[in-house]
Amino acid sequence: MASKKLRVVHYLNQIFGGLGSKDQAHRGPQIVDGPTGPGRAIQSRLAEKGEVVATAICGDDYVGERIDEAAAEIVQLIRRYDPDIVIAGPAFEAGRYGVACGAICKKVQETLHIPAVTGMYGENPGVDLFHKDVYIVQTGDSVRTMDEAITRMVDLAMKQAAGQEIGKPAEDGYFPRGILVNEQSDRNGAARVVAMLLDKLKGRPFEPEVLQPTHYRVDPAPGIKDIGTSTIALVTDGGLVPAGNPDGIESRNATRFGGYGFKDIDSLAAADYDVNHSGYATVFTRQNPNRLIPVDAMREIEREKGIGKLHERFYSTTGVATRLETARRMGRAIAAELKSEGVSGAILTST
Amino acid sequence: MRLELNIVQITKVQSADATAVRNGVLCVNRQELEDLVKQDTRLTGVRIELANPGDKCRIVNVADVIEPRARIADSGPDFPGAVGMQGTAGHGTTCVLRGAAVLINDYDIGGRQYQRADEGIIDMWGPGAEVGPYGRTCNVIVLASPANGTSVDEYCVALKIAGLKTAVHLAKAGAGLTPDEVEIYDIPPLRETAGTMQDLPRVAYICQVFTNQRVPLPGDPVLYGHHIEKMVPTILHPNELFDGALTDPYRGYAATYVIQNHPMIKELYQNHGKTLHFAGVIISNAPSNAPESERTANVAANLAKWILGADGAVLTKIGGGAPELTMALTAQRCEELGIRTALALAHQGIDASEITLKASTVFSNVPQVDAMVSMGTSTASPMLTLPPADKVVGVADGSPMGKELRKPASDIRGSFSQLGDSRLTAVRY
Amino acid sequence: MVGAPRVVQGVKIVNPMGNEEMAPAAEQRLRREIATGALNALQAEVTEPTLFDRHKA
Repeated sequence: MASKKLRVVHYLNQIFGGLGSKDQAHRGPQIVDGPTGPGRAIQSRLAEKGEVVATAICGDDYVGERIDEAAAEIVQLIRRYDPDIVIAGPAFEAGRYGVACGAICKKVQETLHIPAVTGMYGENPGVDLFHKDVYIVQTGDSVRTMDEAITRMVDLAMKQAAGQEIGKPAEDGYFPRGILVNEQSDRNGAARVVAMLLDKLKGRPFEPEVLQPTHYRVDPAPGIKDIGTSTIALVTDGGLVPAGNPDGIESRNATRFGGYGFKDIDSLAAADYDVNHSGYATVFTRQNPNRLIPVDAMREIEREKGIGKLHERFYSTTGVATRLETARRMGRAIAAELKSEGVSGAILTST
Repeated sequence: MRLELNIVQITKVQSADATAVRNGVLCVNRQELEDLVKQDTRLTGVRIELANPGDKCRIVNVADVIEPRARIADSGPDFPGAVGMQGTAGHGTTCVLRGAAVLINDYDIGGRQYQRADEGIIDMWGPGAEVGPYGRTCNVIVLASPANGTSVDEYCVALKIAGLKTAVHLAKAGAGLTPDEVEIYDIPPLRETAGTMQDLPRVAYICQVFTNQRVPLPGDPVLYGHHIEKMVPTILHPNELFDGALTDPYRGYAATYVIQNHPMIKELYQNHGKTLHFAGVIISNAPSNAPESERTANVAANLAKWILGADGAVLTKIGGGAPELTMALTAQRCEELGIRTALALAHQGIDASEITLKASTVFSNVPQVDAMVSMGTSTASPMLTLPPADKVVGVADGSPMGKELRKPASDIRGSFSQLGDSRLTAVRY
Repeated sequence: MVGAPRVVQGVKIVNPMGNEEMAPAAEQRLRREIATGALNALQAEVTEPTLFDRHKA
């Protein structure tokens, strides 16, 4: 028995959709029957298993200037064709196009509850923005790689439509979506690491399982010019919280932080605080919270006018097995609060 | 140094009038064993429990797991410096009861944390038994409470030594038997092997044993009977780790059992003389501040380069982020000295927004540290539903541990290994 | 080491701004010294991750 022919809607920008060039980037959404441009290659790959029933087209600037609304508009056009899957692009290196493809695919998934697949080059900003939500197939940086891009997009889309299990990113040619799973390798860790070392010693190529982290460069803020009039705040990732942990900060994989006020005191009292952190022995910081948030030392310095003012609110979270992007988010949020409160500098005590 | 392990296979453990091994069954006179343990007056309420694979038995608060081993004839003292007299390990003949394990339970530890802070669960049946090795060994469990006037620290040390003594006592029962298998581990001094193995790359193993992110247990007999929390890296012959010179720090991330059967050392031995020349083991700890980490890294790398003459090194860490930093620094120093490195990484703190699987530790400007293997991440452990147990060993009365539990797989003792004996690897999807 | 622009050495993971092995008064002086080192680092101009020795004034 033949399975149902898949109804596919394809999305293209104004260039690939034949409306013109960059000068037509302002054009609004429209939809036409059947395949257009690269959609014909999609139809070829689908063969008798599917049909490109329509092609939605929109200008990159139109989408870029109102991403969410434009995506919604386009999805309304698409839904009239009752598709089983949507394929967008491929966008290769074109940034606005890539973002548009990603946004539209995400909207399709959320609104129409059908699979949506796109494709772009690794440095396309659309990858960073949408790889967690949408399957983005890896393509080269130019139309020379169109055939391979089409093949990967169609194959992945068909797998999704058939409810088949999607393979690893390297197998099915898509950007990893940020889901981490422990799987059983063919050999134990010791065997793999010794084999990798031998390859390296012999100058043979090897495939590392883990890469060096990205160097996130943070431009240092300029030095504080007049410390004698500045407000300095204290921050820690050592897990110091008021007794009872009122904000329920997790002792591992933390997703929140807290800001805790103290007024007119010269030293943090052990009885008022807990230390909630599963990554180090907390006995000494429990005995004396100033070992994490040094209110006592800073008050002395404040009295001697070494600083203008000690900010009477410290910020705290638990830094163990924290996801890096969560840590960055919390750091930005804490910095924003401190800045709005007139703080010039912060001392972060880390365990 | 040449070590012969006489392996006696155990398939079942049971109570009996006399401690003996008969046709693979380890018969245990529990009273005799309890009396042996009670000789240490720091312990009271001593009890020995037995558990076999398949029993609906859950064992909690497992502070360490030790393989029953006893040195035969004139080989020397067992667990030198820890159980009795000082001596050297790694030579002679040692009897091993394979398929059996001694577990020590410190249910009276009162929430004190040493290295690893979890409940150390072992299930002898069901999904828990499938993810960790100790649900498939025939287990002899030593339980006790601290005697009056004994501190928690003293209680833990006493319990650990009791576990080691038990391991020796049981293995002695198999010492006279014809072994089922004999394993031979023989690496002579460097200058003797150099001639025949000149073409093979010299590989050192740099092994972290203890992390200072936690408070060490005073008196923990880690290396030849003493703790190592402040030590600088030192060189051991691989046989010494196999034969009781080193025990896992109390409530550590691994277990003494894993060190006795060290996966990395086994792998290097298997390759020795064929693809590499196993030059030696450098053990270190992970310090708790930056200058000491640099010191550890420098000393370890120097030992590898100038003393062992290593061309390559494999590295493992034990613990969390600080140990990863020490391992990274050590690898960098090695690469700077011309030693190629490969790291076995059990990572945490993954950046899920990254496209590729990256380590969370920053390696400053040494791109040659590029060979890394993933041994999984504890944060990606699947949740297991552990069924209710008929029997729970090692908890205070009234504990809810016997009910159905939802736990991440990494909470099962031995399921997640930083030393290389598991096949887990973290995969990005 | 981890890319933060200004880093001052603390004592140890389990006691970053203290040392339980010291007498309380001595520990207090140590904490003051580290805090001062941190304030000096805040005033310094840096262009890349810099480790500050708390012993330098």
